[in-house]
Amino acid sequence: MEYRMDNEYVLRRPKKALFIRLLGYFKPYLPLLALNILFAFLINGAALIKPYIIKHVIDNYLALKIYAPDVFMRMGLLYLAVVLAGCALTYSQTYILTYIGQKIMYDMRKQLFTHIQNMSMKFFDRNSSGRILTRVTNDVEALNEIFSGVLVNSVKDIIMILGIIATMFALDASLALISMGSIPLIVLVTFIYRKAARKNFLRMKMLIGRINGFLAENISGMKLVRIFHREKEKLQEFQKLDKEYFDTSLREVILNSLGRPIIEVINTLIIAVMIWYASGRITGGHLEIGVLYAFITYIRQFFAPINEIAEFYTSIQSALISAERIFDVLDTRELSEDMKTGKHVERIRGEIEFKNVWFAYDDENWVLKDVSFKIEPGETVAFVGATGSGKSTIISLMARFYDIQKGKILIDGVDIREYNLKDLRRQIAVVMQDVFLFSGDIKSNIRLRNSSITDEDIMRAAKLVCADRFIESLPNKYDEEVKERGCTFSAGQRQLISFARAVAFDPAVFVLDEATANIDTETEMAIQQAMANISGGRTTIIIAHRLSTIRNADKIIVIDKGRIKEIGTHDELIKKGGLYRQLYEKQLVYQCIA
Amino acid sequence: MGLLRSYIVKTTQLLWEFIKQFKWRYIIGMIVLLITSFISSMIPKITGYVTDSINDRMPASVTNKYLLMLVAATVAVFVLRFTWRYFLVGSNRYLECYLREKLFAHMQTLPASFYDNNKTGDLIAYAINDIQAIRRVFGFGFTSILDGVVVNTISIMIMVRTISPMLTLMALAPAPIIVLVIYFLRKKIRERFGMVQKAFAEMSGKVQESISGIRVIKAFAQEEEEVEDFLKYNQVRVDTQMSLTRVSAVLGPVTQLTFGISTVLFIIYGGGLVAKGVISLGDYVAFSSYIMVIMGPIVSIGRIIDVWQRGIASIQRLDRIFCQSSEKDAENALATVSLFGLNRQVEDSQPVEKLRGHIVIRDLTFAYPGTDKIVLHDINLEIKEGETLGILGRTGSGKTTLVNLLLRLYEVEDGHIFIGGRDINHIPLKVLRENIGYVPQDNFLFSTTIKDNIQFFKPIYSDSQIEDAAKMAGIYDEIISFPEGFNTVVGERGVTLSGGQKQRISIARAIIKDPSILILDDSLSAVDTKTEQRILENLKNVLKGRTGIVISHRVSVVRYCDHIIFLDEGRIIERGTHEELMRLRGAYYNLYTSQIEQAEDNLLLQARG
Ligand SMILES: Nc1ncnc2c1ncn2[C@@H]1O[C@H](COP(=O)(O)OP(=O)(O)OP(=O)(O)O)[C@@H](O)[C@H]1O
Ligand SMILES: Nc1ncnc2c1ncn2[C@@H]1O[C@H](COP(=O)(O)OP(=O)(O)OP(=O)(O)O)[C@@H](O)[C@H]1O
Ligand SMILES: [Mg+2]
Ligand SMILES: [Mg+2]
Repeated sequence: MEYRMDNEYVLRRPKKALFIRLLGYFKPYLPLLALNILFAFLINGAALIKPYIIKHVIDNYLALKIYAPDVFMRMGLLYLAVVLAGCALTYSQTYILTYIGQKIMYDMRKQLFTHIQNMSMKFFDRNSSGRILTRVTNDVEALNEIFSGVLVNSVKDIIMILGIIATMFALDASLALISMGSIPLIVLVTFIYRKAARKNFLRMKMLIGRINGFLAENISGMKLVRIFHREKEKLQEFQKLDKEYFDTSLREVILNSLGRPIIEVINTLIIAVMIWYASGRITGGHLEIGVLYAFITYIRQFFAPINEIAEFYTSIQSALISAERIFDVLDTRELSEDMKTGKHVERIRGEIEFKNVWFAYDDENWVLKDVSFKIEPGETVAFVGATGSGKSTIISLMARFYDIQKGKILIDGVDIREYNLKDLRRQIAVVMQDVFLFSGDIKSNIRLRNSSITDEDIMRAAKLVCADRFIESLPNKYDEEVKERGCTFSAGQRQLISFARAVAFDPAVFVLDEATANIDTETEMAIQQAMANISGGRTTIIIAHRLSTIRNADKIIVIDKGRIKEIGTHDELIKKGGLYRQLYEKQLVYQCIA
Repeated sequence: MGLLRSYIVKTTQLLWEFIKQFKWRYIIGMIVLLITSFISSMIPKITGYVTDSINDRMPASVTNKYLLMLVAATVAVFVLRFTWRYFLVGSNRYLECYLREKLFAHMQTLPASFYDNNKTGDLIAYAINDIQAIRRVFGFGFTSILDGVVVNTISIMIMVRTISPMLTLMALAPAPIIVLVIYFLRKKIRERFGMVQKAFAEMSGKVQESISGIRVIKAFAQEEEEVEDFLKYNQVRVDTQMSLTRVSAVLGPVTQLTFGISTVLFIIYGGGLVAKGVISLGDYVAFSSYIMVIMGPIVSIGRIIDVWQRGIASIQRLDRIFCQSSEKDAENALATVSLFGLNRQVEDSQPVEKLRGHIVIRDLTFAYPGTDKIVLHDINLEIKEGETLGILGRTGSGKTTLVNLLLRLYEVEDGHIFIGGRDINHIPLKVLRENIGYVPQDNFLFSTTIKDNIQFFKPIYSDSQIEDAAKMAGIYDEIISFPEGFNTVVGERGVTLSGGQKQRISIARAIIKDPSILILDDSLSAVDTKTEQRILENLKNVLKGRTGIVISHRVSVVRYCDHIIFLDEGRIIERGTHEELMRLRGAYYNLYTSQIEQAEDNLLLQARG
């Protein structure tokens, strides 16, 4: 098994650029963001006032043993008011932040999904579906933290830290200095620990991704693994992966159990030192004990924002990795298709011409070599050739799934690249060799999302391809559920449904790539008959290995290893005595005589 | 609870086995946890002593002694906490992996119908999310309860005994209300969280389908419509999250408020006590720390309950899978798998028992589980060892189904199918499947090298064996013409190969197993006649001495079979050799003539021309 994901966990782009680009998504929400930062100030203020109130009570009353119930009551109520204000502010802040985060994720997903939908086939050949899926789902989700928490909260934390420092100095400069002495230590330890934790965290994320991918492929292919009795091998592969995950996971436990607690130890040490130092001054009457109390509280409060900032750093790091992966997709513009511009056409006539076309899926491995032919409107043309000779490839090019490297493809005399892609593909319906059914029902599989196709159209199409017979026998007829990839239908039935889909779209050009390969001869002939009736005036392109199915074509094009060998009608080609005749005779002899 | 237990029996059993295996880790961990909690609940009291010693102007040595105690206690807590976390939390990471491996192993034994009825995405979620939820019960759930109970009991005792019962009571007054409020909040949160997860899963499913089906979407220019449909899911994701936040954002403030109220009561009442000299200032300081200590576990009660309930829900979900009965006599995966390895190393060297390829089917009637449409009616059939059976029949007539049953992908009752004289249900699956070479109708390839696809993850074949298999399947020349040859990595499901190439790799994959029964399900549909002929020629050799089943829509493929059956709507309507069937002038004859008619026409034409 090959996973190309590992190196995706190391950033390639400069962090700053990534970060700034991410910030760009905030633009529509700047006013809300500003409001939130204001809230952050207020919330911090509330947090800082609280210990101060208690200090006030201790120093002015308790240490002096003054009994003043009304003051206690007033102070208590003041405290309560501060708490309440803090609560209200925190609630609003959380809500607004979530809102911003969700809105931005919505925007990003929309942008990303639209972009992916408009990617060319090459992109999908190169990237596994699991990978693409992760971009839209989990990677965007990973950004949420940045958008909804990190930014505002880190501002809040910095304000908090500054606020605590200021308050400390206002209370007592020398104690404040001692506390400050501890800051570098705390910061250092926090960051060392966080760095280790971060590395581990990212590794864990990668491993979960791999487990996910492994399961996705192996659950889809489970039936095959079972039939070939390879459970043990697959299980071992899985266990290896799981063990790797476990090691990382255990390391996480160890890191977590060390990191935070050690800060607590440091905290206590500092507090001890401070008390030790302060006790002398208190006994000497130079310091009030309430101040010491406030300091202890502040030192404890101090750690939380530092730790949070360090944690944010991990979130940011992890988010940047996701961001990079998302931007990588968004930035592959050379593979994206432009569905908007281009020449609009209502209906094409169906003249297709290839002029010296060269094509390779990658680099220079030419699959099509100098291919030229012309199909007149309304003609029925068949492509014949050995398997792997490039027939399906030619068809992909007609629908412009790939762009060619050399030569020209003309439709109605106009370069295929000049057409609006959407119009073009609406006109050319391809029944692909590999059938795909969506989960849903039969109707939705034939109609897709084209609401202009009525239920009657669907039934007519199904009838035409002789799918009505089996559909009518289903308990729910056209509303019968289609499970994942149509797994509860026979291969031929799936093919019929996908055929009906093309018919229902009523295209100007029909392209049938082995559209009846898994279908019995009787049905196949009935379909041919029906197709002949409706195809009047329509260009029809057929690929089939059974020469009997293509004999009546107006034109037969013979391909061999990516080159056109012969073009002509059946009779012409037979007379010519070339490759086609050889093929044909062989097949005849093989079918009839022997 | 009793009712509950009966639902979750299998998973609990697994959990128990695990705990037994790890019992010492758990016992040590728990003892250390108790000690840790005890010490940490003393810390605020020590802080109080420190305060008093300063406030009462005691000698510095006393203060220092308390300070040292404070530091020592903190360090001890640090070391001990690490120890118990390592033992308890660490074990739960084992537990997570253990459950996941058991689950995967178990899934490997489940019948095909299970996979017909469950979405891949959901099954992945079981293996990742649900198992993590269970881990959390054992990790966070248990330890928080233990820790919380101990710390709170001790703290409250100290507060009552050494500080002030009344003050304690006041400080704890908001607790019950808060527990209740949080409990209800959590319940709402869980509901809404469930909706968020569902929305996310549905969105993922949507994206997954539109990527897998991208070729169709593009071919019919449905991109815009897809995007529009996706946006609906995207919006639901946002809406569910916002409705969750409306509730969950209350949680933080409620907690703050709890602490706040306790502190307020404490300022008002406690202040009075200090001023009147009932308690010392140190007690006052200690008390304020205890409030923090006690409220921690109380506030997290809601969270614990939540983790528990989610865990139970996950256990129930997993149990639905664990309770799915495996295919009969599939190796008991739950027993053979131990953590990170197999328990019994099944000796690979020992060759699997050879099955004799004599197949008998008697009065077989079959409907797919969960449906009532009968797909096969009264099938009676015998294939002698070394003979080849051809199957023809309309689309959907049950050909693939028949083969599925021979592979025991779906269950049939005893007494209907016999292979090598044994009832199929009594042949170990391993023996059965190792002896059958199967080329499925749709060719699923894994996204790995061609070589790995042919040997199918079991590196026991030599390169020349792999090459021979490829030659037999008529794909060798093409493979070596690829730049990377046998090491070419194919795309997902094999997308970067042509239809015929995929099909022939599947054939090679079946042939290399050297099976006693070879089944080809419409396996030449995507190859041209020339290649078909070549492969059939090869197959003749391969099939020598083996039993073969060849399904096809083309007479040319099956005509040389020793027996041919013609299926229609699940019944065998004709059977015999090619000649016999021709003489019958029935369905087979019609099929033959229709396929041959044009051919003959042309022969004539050609003869004239
Ligand atoms: N998406 C792809 N990426 C890279 N190579 C491809 C891709 N699709 C096809 N090929 C290669 O291009 C060549 C021609 O394939 P194509 O599918 O056009 O053949 P075909 O004539 O349709 O064959 P068949 O009759 O078997 O369907 C093959 O060698 C194949 O491996
Ligand atoms: N997993 C399944 N669950 C329920 N019904 C099924 C399942 N698989 C197939 N069927 C139904 O059983 C019937 C027979 O299907 P089967 O796949 O055996 O046909 P087939 O003869 O192989 O057809 P084809 O020539 O199209 O491959 C069909 O009506 C199909 O809808
Ligand atoms: Mg093809
Ligand atoms: Mg079938």
